[in-house]
Amino acid sequence: MIDPGSVLTTDLVGLATTRHAYVLFVLLSTIGLYMLIANENLVKKVIGVNMFQTGIFLFFITSAYRVGGSAPIIEGAGPYVSPLPQVIVLTAIVVGISLTAVGLALSIRLYNEYGTLRADALREVIGDE
Amino acid sequence: MTSIIAPTVIQSVGITPLEVALFVFILITAVLTALFRDVLAAIVIFAAYSLGLAVVYTFYRAPDVGLTEAAIGAGVTTVFLLLTIAKTTRPPTDELFEPINWPAVAVCGLFALVVGSTLTAFPAVGDPNSPILTNPEVTGYYLENAYDETGAKNAVTSVLAAYRGFDTFGEAVVVFAAGIASLLVLGREVFTA
Repeated sequence: MIDPGSVLTTDLVGLATTRHAYVLFVLLSTIGLYMLIANENLVKKVIGVNMFQTGIFLFFITSAYRVGGSAPIIEGAGPYVSPLPQVIVLTAIVVGISLTAVGLALSIRLYNEYGTLRADALREVIGDE
Repeated sequence: MTSIIAPTVIQSVGITPLEVALFVFILITAVLTALFRDVLAAIVIFAAYSLGLAVVYTFYRAPDVGLTEAAIGAGVTTVFLLLTIAKTTRPPTDELFEPINWPAVAVCGLFALVVGSTLTAFPAVGDPNSPILTNPEVTGYYLENAYDETGAKNAVTSVLAAYRGFDTFGEAVVVFAAGIASLLVLGREVFTA
């Protein structure tokens, strides 16, 4: 069913078809990081932070997954996926929404004070004072 | 798909067509979120992205996380983002996409290379022989004893509310602190609207 040799494949096709969710985790984190750096709009920066987080969540959920396993609700005798990474992701989602709320509140406050949501314009205005 | 009667796993590791479809959907929505110049469009596409991820979590047998992502990622986050642009501004745009910032692309490419170079060290997705699934002292212990020790059939619930009860309490403190911080930063007028 699983031959140990396949775990050691280093070719790109093998990587993309067996570590696919981990590849997606890297790509999503990268796109989130790009939004955080490249977008000047503060709201889009917050979206970027959220996307980075969801990439990490995907990593945890994937690490718990087991082919042919069922959700960790203990009934009958099936192999189950691991419940522990799922719990830490549940906690992280709630902490993430808290961060988002505070970040957006700070953005609204900055807009009320300076009249802009663009990071470059804010740097100019604050630099002039 | 579940093999309660015959615990021998027939399915082997490797990508399935459903995963391909979901991953393509998620990647397209992620790229569009990053590139759309109009903030409202980016927020709406980001909600679709969260929904796609919720389906992936459910496919990976994490229904609790899928529900939470759908409610909080696609629901509450979207509402917060929409409230923010309603309270501030939605910059008028004449172009559809943002110009691509190449220095940022270079930095992110470097990040992707560094993180991506660790990919070969991971076990295959869903591999039943991966260390996290075969460890009898951690995953095995909780699956074995969660019901007897806490009385909750859902192992996620028993870990969240019993074994990691103080952690969850700390999480509630974080939410409380975030609520206080938001109200302090905003003054008082925003949440009454």
